[in-house]
Amino acid sequence: MVASQYGFDFDPKRCVQCHACEVACQAIHQLEYGVGWRKVVGVWKGPFPNVTSRGVSLACMHCGNPPCEAVCPRGAIKKRPEDGIVLVDQEKCFGCHLCLTVCPFGAPQFGNDGKMQKCDLCMDLIMQGKEPACVATCPAEALRFGTLQELSEQAARRCAQKVTESSDLGS
Amino acid sequence: MTGYQVIPTFCGMCGPSAGCGIYAYVKDGKFVRIEGMKESPLNRGRNCAKAHAAPQWVCSPDRLRYPMRRVGKKGEGRFERITWDQALDTIAHKLKEQKKKFGPESLAILSPARRSYSDYLYRFLMAHGSPNYCHSGICAMQNSFSFAYTLGATFPAPLPDYENSQLILIWGKQPVYSGASKGSTRLLVEAKERGAKIIAIKPTLEPDAALADIWVPIRPGTDAALALAMLNVTVNESLFDTDFVTHWCYGFEELREHIQQYTPAWAEPITGVSADQIREVTRLYATTKCAAIDAGNGLEHARSASDTARSIAILIAITGHFDRPGGNIMPVGSTMPAPKDVHLRERYTQEWVDKLVAPEFPKPFQPFVEGTSSAYFRAFESIITEKPYPVRTIVAPGTQPTVSTRGSKRVVEALQKLDFFVVIDVMRTAEMAYADVVVPVATPYETDHPFEFTPNWIMARNKVIEPLGEYKSMYEFWLDLGVRMGYGDDFWNGSMDACMNEQLAPLGITIDELRAHPTGIVYPMKPMVYEKYAQTFSRRSPLLSKSPFLPQSKVAIYNTTFEEHGFRPLPGWHEPPESPTGTPELLKTYPLIFSDFHTSKVYNASWLRNVPYLRKILPFPTIQMHPDTAKERGVKEGDWVIVESPHGSMKVKAEINTGIRPDTVMSLHGWWQECHELGLPSYPILDGGANTNNMYSVDLDKAFDPLVTAMSSQTLVEVRKA
Repeated sequence: MVASQYGFDFDPKRCVQCHACEVACQAIHQLEYGVGWRKVVGVWKGPFPNVTSRGVSLACMHCGNPPCEAVCPRGAIKKRPEDGIVLVDQEKCFGCHLCLTVCPFGAPQFGNDGKMQKCDLCMDLIMQGKEPACVATCPAEALRFGTLQELSEQAARRCAQKVTESSDLGS
Repeated sequence: MTGYQVIPTFCGMCGPSAGCGIYAYVKDGKFVRIEGMKESPLNRGRNCAKAHAAPQWVCSPDRLRYPMRRVGKKGEGRFERITWDQALDTIAHKLKEQKKKFGPESLAILSPARRSYSDYLYRFLMAHGSPNYCHSGICAMQNSFSFAYTLGATFPAPLPDYENSQLILIWGKQPVYSGASKGSTRLLVEAKERGAKIIAIKPTLEPDAALADIWVPIRPGTDAALALAMLNVTVNESLFDTDFVTHWCYGFEELREHIQQYTPAWAEPITGVSADQIREVTRLYATTKCAAIDAGNGLEHARSASDTARSIAILIAITGHFDRPGGNIMPVGSTMPAPKDVHLRERYTQEWVDKLVAPEFPKPFQPFVEGTSSAYFRAFESIITEKPYPVRTIVAPGTQPTVSTRGSKRVVEALQKLDFFVVIDVMRTAEMAYADVVVPVATPYETDHPFEFTPNWIMARNKVIEPLGEYKSMYEFWLDLGVRMGYGDDFWNGSMDACMNEQLAPLGITIDELRAHPTGIVYPMKPMVYEKYAQTFSRRSPLLSKSPFLPQSKVAIYNTTFEEHGFRPLPGWHEPPESPTGTPELLKTYPLIFSDFHTSKVYNASWLRNVPYLRKILPFPTIQMHPDTAKERGVKEGDWVIVESPHGSMKVKAEINTGIRPDTVMSLHGWWQECHELGLPSYPILDGGANTNNMYSVDLDKAFDPLVTAMSSQTLVEVRKA
């Protein structure tokens, strides 16, 4: 059991597919071209003219029970007990891609060195009390960050706000 | 995160000013990354994709390194290195010689859009004696002109009041991709969350506008027909605000009679929007108390651009949505005194206006709010036609005439003939091979000026890194050239600090004092006051006579000022140069409507294709097609296709989705540049490349709005597999 699991929350209704999160991530981690720890994927829906397009910003979800950790033959992937961040040990990884085959989000990335790399939740930033780069920059505030407890409380508060704002509750 | 220097400054990845606030991180003298500045009231710590890619742009292998002089033939691209002194002397010598021989008006300076250095360009022209500041004729001022002479509202008014609106019509605009972090995104998603209804009126539904509740998929270039039909419905169904119309509008009865011809049934075949939907949208807009129209730049690229903006202005007014909560408002600003501008407006004379080579607005309407202006493309035409006289020198500071304006073939022809061409930029530009002198300037990250400001925030720019080449800033260049020309008294004898201190005088601070506030100074906004009609409708114009925009001190529905100068007193309709209803005979060969958009999530117009993080997101020039349109032509996603119009052709990749009208295809404007890091090539500027400008008519009689010079970007095409 993780003491206090960190994670992302994402609101697809707010995402405008501006890709700021994606590039902020690449820039802070100085990723090589073509490697993206976070990706915005757009989906068109509906026949013309009843069309919508929604975007989803995806990165490693730092799963409670990570399938990548379970299958890694070298034990290179570890979930930290103190905060639930899933990390990959580049020394141990030998680039077998098994993690990619089991990850439902396509999060594992492979650069020129052939080893797995992925979102580390901007560990260095969050240790300084800052938000991960993708969350901090999101112009739509579609991405949020916190412990699962905090995220769930925030979601409840937003819901309560909405319910009380709907007019028929009286004043 | 140790060993970093953190420098507060502005982002420099788009314009016009001011940029978003950022903290730039520097390690061992290298610009590494940025972080949003939470203290900035403009972006509140948020930044867009472009902002984060800035270090790649600054360190690009495309950066110019030192001043150069052309040694080969025009267009050949052979240059030799020269010193700054040689560059400045060569330019000054040429300008002095031409001034003596042909008059100062032989100089034209291009400015496609408003930039933080625009007033420095004006100042140089003022000191030199030329009125030929060349504005694109397709950006912001086209709408602003019509709003000014109809409502007395100049840019950015009449501002859509997103925060209080229950219904927002996003019309010809990409609300998010133009300034994602400057508040537009937040305003849009918050309006949606609050329950406001969003209607998107545009030919394609980009992902940002796809948040809309209703899409009105209009044919490109036909917005005036839709707006006229909306006026018809508003008037004939008595959906107007009788009280407002009675007290504050001039010429309503003339409008009533005039718009009888523009029924929804008339507009349906032109716009491709059903008469029912036109009625539905009009009723929703007219009957929703707090309803706003966010009219965008897309409306300014059509032969009927001024008719569109005038009709929208009238619609806002007669439905009672002008300067009321949730409508289109006149902002009141903050308690911050405006910095003094460096334009030298006090020197305008009638003789000055008369010398314009290609007036962007007709001479009786010059100067307009930015100053006097010639139209960018038509200034190039003067070189070829020598009418009314040929421009002899063109200076292109941060603009690329072969990709920024329509009619690239004519522009190349003009560049061949032009006597003297100066390119000032940070990178190689599309037509640099034609330049006589190339002036390399610093990026905004390599200089400590100018200060920038919004209505309620002012901050000094700080230098992030030492210049990576032999650069001056754009500002230093104009000051130094001014001094060399003998205009030193007008150019602070070359001192940028003296220049900034003069501008800051109204605020009672010096640039050093401003710099002592690392995140600038924020002033409180004034409390909003609505319905400022008496004040707004009596605003004076920037004309030499200072006559008011609205002679009756009322909304000019029937425009006596336009009538007096030979233009339509009421808005009407012009077909695009080629369209299904205007030129049906062309449909057999060219069955699809073509247009382009100028803004995308990762690029600004013709910039930034060389930045790898951004290029990776949109790697290839594309044409957006509906799945049915693609299928009929055997085209699959990602196929290279040839797009042919009566005027030119392009080779681009097919991008297939349902967010576009099946009878329309559209491309992003501005493609030419390669990306070395990703091994992606450059594309030819003329036919066969990916430059949308070759596709359109530039017929001076058919392709331009007669009042505001807007250039049309609509034609008919066929698409086939390459």
